[in-house]
Amino acid sequence: MSDTTAHKFRSARDEAPLARYALIAFAVIGVGVLVAAPLLAVFVEALADGAAAAVASLGNRDAASAIKLTLLIAAIAVPLNALFGVAAAWFITKFDFRGKAFLITLIDLPFSVSPVVAGLCIVLMFGTNSLVGGWLVASGYPVVFALPGIVLATMFVTFPFVARELIPVMVEQGRAEEEAALTLGASGFRVFWTVTLPNIRWALLYGVLLSNARAMGEFGAVAVVSGKIRGETATMPITIEMLYNEYLSVAAFSMAAVLTLLALVTLMLKTALEVRHADQLAANHRH
Amino acid sequence: MHIEIDEISKQFGTTAALSPVSLSIPSGALVALLGPSGSGKTTLLRILGGLEFPTSGRVLFDAQDATGLTVQERRAGFVFQSYALFRHMTVFENIAYGLNARPRASRPPKAEIARRVTKLLDLIQLPDIGSRYPSQLSGGQRQRVALARALAIEPRMLLLDEPFGALDAKVRKELRQGLREIHDETGLTTVFVTHDQDEAMELADMVVVMSMGRIEQIGKPSEIRARPASTFVREFIGV
Amino acid sequence: MGRPLIHRSPMPGLGLSMGITLTMLSLVVLLPIGALLLKGANFGVAGIWETVNRERVWAALFLSFRLSLFAALFNLVFGVILAWVLVRYRFAGRRLLDAAVDLPFALPTAVAGIALTALYAPNGAFGALAAEIGWKIAYTQWGIFIALVFVGLPFVTRTVQPVVEEIEAEVEEASATLGASRLYTLRRVVLPMLAPAALTGFALSLARAVGEYGSVIFIAGNIPLKTEIAPLLIVIQLEEFNYDGAAAIGIAMLVISFAMLLAINLIGVWSRRRIGYV
Repeated sequence: MSDTTAHKFRSARDEAPLARYALIAFAVIGVGVLVAAPLLAVFVEALADGAAAAVASLGNRDAASAIKLTLLIAAIAVPLNALFGVAAAWFITKFDFRGKAFLITLIDLPFSVSPVVAGLCIVLMFGTNSLVGGWLVASGYPVVFALPGIVLATMFVTFPFVARELIPVMVEQGRAEEEAALTLGASGFRVFWTVTLPNIRWALLYGVLLSNARAMGEFGAVAVVSGKIRGETATMPITIEMLYNEYLSVAAFSMAAVLTLLALVTLMLKTALEVRHADQLAANHRH
Repeated sequence: MHIEIDEISKQFGTTAALSPVSLSIPSGALVALLGPSGSGKTTLLRILGGLEFPTSGRVLFDAQDATGLTVQERRAGFVFQSYALFRHMTVFENIAYGLNARPRASRPPKAEIARRVTKLLDLIQLPDIGSRYPSQLSGGQRQRVALARALAIEPRMLLLDEPFGALDAKVRKELRQGLREIHDETGLTTVFVTHDQDEAMELADMVVVMSMGRIEQIGKPSEIRARPASTFVREFIGV
Repeated sequence: MGRPLIHRSPMPGLGLSMGITLTMLSLVVLLPIGALLLKGANFGVAGIWETVNRERVWAALFLSFRLSLFAALFNLVFGVILAWVLVRYRFAGRRLLDAAVDLPFALPTAVAGIALTALYAPNGAFGALAAEIGWKIAYTQWGIFIALVFVGLPFVTRTVQPVVEEIEAEVEEASATLGASRLYTLRRVVLPMLAPAALTGFALSLARAVGEYGSVIFIAGNIPLKTEIAPLLIVIQLEEFNYDGAAAIGIAMLVISFAMLLAINLIGVWSRRRIGYV
């Protein structure tokens, strides 16, 4: 007799089955329309004239130069940001000083500044009609409309990523292990390499991963500082815009597809990290 | 209210939390379910409250089959081990919660709710804390607020899960006395779960000793002390 | 007596880590922002006001903040539901759904922009459907709204998810034993517990939407006074080498964003204080 009622029993924490199915359907359809559909659209548009046309469009000189430039920018900006992230996390979590909260706020600042405004700031600082910029151009080292400006803009928008991942993890791990190593006579660098780094490596990788994805995809800030010179300062996202505005849809979407694949790989690695190394990531990723 | 537990069993996956157990609790009794962790005492309490569904067997309230009643329909005043007070509500709002949650037709008017909450605050001897939040209370005060909240719905029985578990020894003694007084005043059939044999012996009219999903012995504290029914009971109560 | 600026510590690397941190922070973030503020100080409040106080600028600012607010509100509701579904329910494809939520973070904005345009343009898959009922999405404010929803989608979900995980079972059970229906429990017990995190996610989503450029400009149509967003106006000023005009609009955007975030943070502090920590 209980068997017939048992499956009808609903735990005090469950919604009615009908409500449950409705909410799941709402979530799945919502994410499908808002997220999955655009993803699919990129590949559909890229392959509109067949795979050969899509691949061919990536082969010309401008496309190749854009891909090279984007890789170069990421190769400079991401390691520098990783260096900053580790240094900032070390400074903030291993020492006690006044104004720590304020420093963290400053590091987070780029998240609340529009990328376009970030680019604008760099133009105002290093543009030809600014003091610093004028001198740099005169010395033959232009920043704006050149590689250094694009790197700076990229660093600005990705600045907090690594530090943000590391700080909560290092706070949680405390200082005891480092202190133990110091009492055993290890030097500062030895402590960092043999004690701290192994404890934070997955969080570091996680931050680098996010930072890299954003660095390769940044558009707004780079659009302002790059000058959009074809073959010289046009990154992949900038090239996508130029091709799209010239109605070269297949070429634009083919390059977009390359960046989309990168995004998908990033997501897969990120998910793998969250599943396998949850213990070493910040608590808000553990689900 | 008279509670009859008729051959109740509970499986969680492949493990049996309760082998079929039967127990009759007379109206107005103060009963302790005593046992170590994993003995099935909390599972039994949760089945009475409608928070778990038995794999087999029946629960009868005043000889009426209550097995299929939902949590809401049971009207069991339940006090949780962690008290589970609502953090974002004042003490007053916590106690009034069950009355406010009733459908409009059976909900008492505002003034009546206020009157009842005030009366309950007097009963738990904390008349002045209505406007405070749970985070501003001591452990003992939280426990009494949880009790008042459970009493506010005019429950048919009172179920308490380790009601003194999270408190220090001194507060525990005071609150034991408080629970006894409230029980005597309201006359509610009361079942509480504990792993502390002193607490069970001192407070309850009837003690149910449990182990590994089975009832080892049922009896008055004095009977259990005088004639432990098994080696387990003898060792557990330490006579 | 004040506290010492830096407490003595046996930890190594104080000079090095502090040096790298402060130097890079200054060079990459503080000095450039300082350059913008300096520019603003040069032509003063009156000068900024003169630049901003034009119909086209007001229209762009109002459009940006209004649509960002709508998009963040949509994401607030959808994000809370999504977080609940992902934590509480078990169904085929849950992990995939969970991973998909992060896509707007990982996908470059320019890619999102042209993909959304392809979908919602009158000859696109969704755009054609909408056109059947006379609803134009791309190149109208609807298009901007959809792009802003896309970029802000993950924020609320990701801030609310850990909070849903931490709700103690006993709190919901307590509500049920007191006779409350499931809906009443969700409304009066669960939602208030999620509110502070949801508000944080809302603020992040709003901040992101206000500054968003790449995903919007393709779908917006960029018609002055109608579908021209504030960041685009800055870009246009820069392309005309009107640095003063760009700086004035940039400062106006900064000020409004910070004022908004401050207000939201204050609401958050107030609500957290009310709920307290048990």
